[in-house]
Amino acid sequence: MDLQTLVSILESGAALGILYALMAFGLAIVWTTLGIFNFAHGAFIATGAYLAWQFGNAAGFGLGYWAGAILAVLAMFALGVVVQTLLVRPFERHRDIVLLTVITTLAGASIITNLLNVIWGPRMKQIEPALGGEVTVGLVHVRSQELVMVVVVAATLFAIGWFLLRTPLGRSMRAVAQNREAAQLMGLDVRLLYALTFGLAAAVAGLAGVFIGSIRFMSPTMGDDPLQKALVVVILGGVARFTSSIYAAFAVGIIEAFSTYFVGLYWTPAVLFGLMIAVLIIKPEGLFGRRQRSV
Amino acid sequence: MRYDPPFHRTNGLWPALSILAVLIGLPLFVVDPYTRHLLVLSFIFAAVAASWDLSLGFGGLFNFAHGALFAVGLYSFALAVKFLGLSPWLAIPLGGLVAMIVAALIALPVLRLDGIYVILVTIAVSQLLYQVTVSQSKWTGGTSGIVSLPALRVGDYSFIRDGKIGYYYAALLLLVLATTFLYGVIRSPLGRAIVGLRDHKYFAIARGVSEARTRLLTLVASALFTGIAGAFYGSYVRVASPDVFGLSFLTLILSILLVGGVATLWGPIVSAFVMTFLSEAIVGLGPWREIIMGIVIVLVVSFYPGGLWAAVQELRERIDTGRTAMLVSWRRRMQRRTRVDRMAGAEEFLLATRHGCIAVSDTGGDKPAILLLHGNSACKEAFAKQFAALKAEFRLVAFDLPGHGVSDNGDPETSYNVIAYAEIAEAVIEARGLHRPVVFGWSLGGYVGLELAARAKVPVAGLAICGTSPLTVVPDDFAAGYDASSHLILASKQYFTRAEAAAYAGSATAPKSAESAYLHRNLPRTDGRARVYMMTKLPVVNWPRQMRMLRDGKLPFAIINGADDPFLNRGYLLALCRSEGWSHPLVNIPNGKHAPFFNTPQTFNEIFLSFCRQAFAAAEGQDARATRP
Repeated sequence: MDLQTLVSILESGAALGILYALMAFGLAIVWTTLGIFNFAHGAFIATGAYLAWQFGNAAGFGLGYWAGAILAVLAMFALGVVVQTLLVRPFERHRDIVLLTVITTLAGASIITNLLNVIWGPRMKQIEPALGGEVTVGLVHVRSQELVMVVVVAATLFAIGWFLLRTPLGRSMRAVAQNREAAQLMGLDVRLLYALTFGLAAAVAGLAGVFIGSIRFMSPTMGDDPLQKALVVVILGGVARFTSSIYAAFAVGIIEAFSTYFVGLYWTPAVLFGLMIAVLIIKPEGLFGRRQRSV
Repeated sequence: MRYDPPFHRTNGLWPALSILAVLIGLPLFVVDPYTRHLLVLSFIFAAVAASWDLSLGFGGLFNFAHGALFAVGLYSFALAVKFLGLSPWLAIPLGGLVAMIVAALIALPVLRLDGIYVILVTIAVSQLLYQVTVSQSKWTGGTSGIVSLPALRVGDYSFIRDGKIGYYYAALLLLVLATTFLYGVIRSPLGRAIVGLRDHKYFAIARGVSEARTRLLTLVASALFTGIAGAFYGSYVRVASPDVFGLSFLTLILSILLVGGVATLWGPIVSAFVMTFLSEAIVGLGPWREIIMGIVIVLVVSFYPGGLWAAVQELRERIDTGRTAMLVSWRRRMQRRTRVDRMAGAEEFLLATRHGCIAVSDTGGDKPAILLLHGNSACKEAFAKQFAALKAEFRLVAFDLPGHGVSDNGDPETSYNVIAYAEIAEAVIEARGLHRPVVFGWSLGGYVGLELAARAKVPVAGLAICGTSPLTVVPDDFAAGYDASSHLILASKQYFTRAEAAAYAGSATAPKSAESAYLHRNLPRTDGRARVYMMTKLPVVNWPRQMRMLRDGKLPFAIINGADDPFLNRGYLLALCRSEGWSHPLVNIPNGKHAPFFNTPQTFNEIFLSFCRQAFAAAEGQDARATRP
């Protein structure tokens, strides 16, 4: 394997990784804060892509790529709040909240996916990229769209990090995630913060959908694969810190790139799931997580 | 200790047999191959959903690889008949075997994990199996699957012929076998361990249940008929396609399970028919079908988590309540004379209370009054012998508790508990104008008497109880105060079979004879909810207040038990009566059983009479002191 191959593997791994970080963020923050797994996350990603297509593309409202992306993200925030209110909030404080929300979000995913099918039809679509062409930086050739994506995603992740670490609202969200009772005693509106967290997760999922929709084809079930990738990332990273799922995303991206090169495309998902099972058996709190007595 | 009659002695036998008979006879009327096809699918899905319920509902283990176990059965069937040339008849059990092995492998990571992690690891395993299946297209045909599998046949007769009649009965047999197996597992010690681990993990472990072993067995047992059903499905649709790994198949089985009712054996079986036919009925709606199914799942989980089986139970409860209510209105009118004669001519009055209409027998007159309180699932006529023997000297009053005898059925939430019963006793004392009665409480009535005296809203001259262990801490003392015989467990069972009714009436009062037949006839009238709610609402009573009142010693009090009461733990009562500061007598009447006033009335009446005389004398003394200037 020459240097060129290695660099291109690392490059594609990093590009995958940054996309996975975006896809996994929403899943991770909902899990940390609400203590549930949102199986409608993949459907959120697909919805974001379709909304951006509808707003931005010439066949839709034709507002342009960026306006479409921004409107889609805002609409996804609202959708996230609605889904949380309908499918998650009724079971808060329920003993079996974990199983119940798995069931309701699975049902929600099925409802959303099929609604997408009803509204936009099963035919493949693609969002026109913001920039065409390729760019060469040293040994690396990338599509301009991917470079745009890398920049926007990095900026988004930094913005979210700043929001969570520095602003009062972000700190309230983290407080609720760390200790619900204490946060409530300090006067934080837990229900509102839960809804906002879910909305934020959905908005970021929508953004991920916009990028996936512009580098791959869109279909109502386009969220299934990102959901599985996000699951692997979140399990690998654990949810101890905001950053742990970002590291894990890069790890998964690079593992996937190497695995595709060495063991082939077909075996790559099996490798990732095998890895996920191994992590769950050996270190269920995640590679970057802190050890807890029980999980 | 648990009470579980074998299946052929439960109330479920006849409904189950008649439904089975209907299903056996159904192909005579349903000749349309498409409807038969849906029925076959219902049988298969019912077996899969009921098996899943063993791990998900009974075990609380969220095994989301259950669909994958079905797929494992399907693919091992397909591979065995296609590449090993195995007979389909052998390949079907092989599917179950392979699914059990895979389930044992799934159990390895599951043993260490809990809650959401079990869901995640099983989803990962299921995806792993899917990816391996799809990537080995040389063997499995990749995404298009393995096609043209052989159909089942006996000799030259193919099961597809005559409108799939062979498959219909084979699938029915599969469902019957799966149900029998699961029924056996659920009621075996293993089944109790499974439920115990779900309900209270650490308590179950402390009781010697091995968590790892039980989880392993749960998953393996739930895989057996899932794998067999998968293999049978393969022989039926004759294609092994990777669709069965997907979320939509999992969602279908999950919706069958949820709509039917989690942690019930029969719920998923009933709902498999409903959901299969429902989802076929709306198949023309395309994507809207999935949307409607999703909405149904969310609505059931949010608003009716018990599912269809809870609806069936509710219907049964309504029917039973209607039956007892009709029985009461009939007996009130038609058998009044018999009751008055039995109660030595004591008139029967109907008293409207806030807990419904209460039937009271009162001998009347200006004599010292005795109020008698009957026990669980009995009636005021249990005291017929006392009415006959004591009415010359005392005024005797007894009433039927709500849901018992010829009193109205009460509202279960408010009227079927010891406090409500004590309120009714107060209402009877006031309405009948009883001055300082001696109260006698039998069994459940004993607690009503204790509560009545402890509330001290109306003055009583004395209290005697029979077949009752005074309690301080519930439920701990309840477990200590009684012998956990199977008949005691009946005390909180909602529906009795014939044998159970005879056993309960027999041990609570007397075995059926000409003399006690009327008590046995009365028992089925009791509102089953009264038993359940009374028992579950025991903790709302202020038990320490009763015990403080007894230890205080101001109220004349006696415990008059049968020496061989089948329910009481005599050790508990002896310890109580020998404890420091206890001043009340404990009398054991030889051969007395649980109802000595009925079985050995002479001895009982003597003892009770002397207690009453002393109590009334003491009360008179008090009254006299109070009125002295």
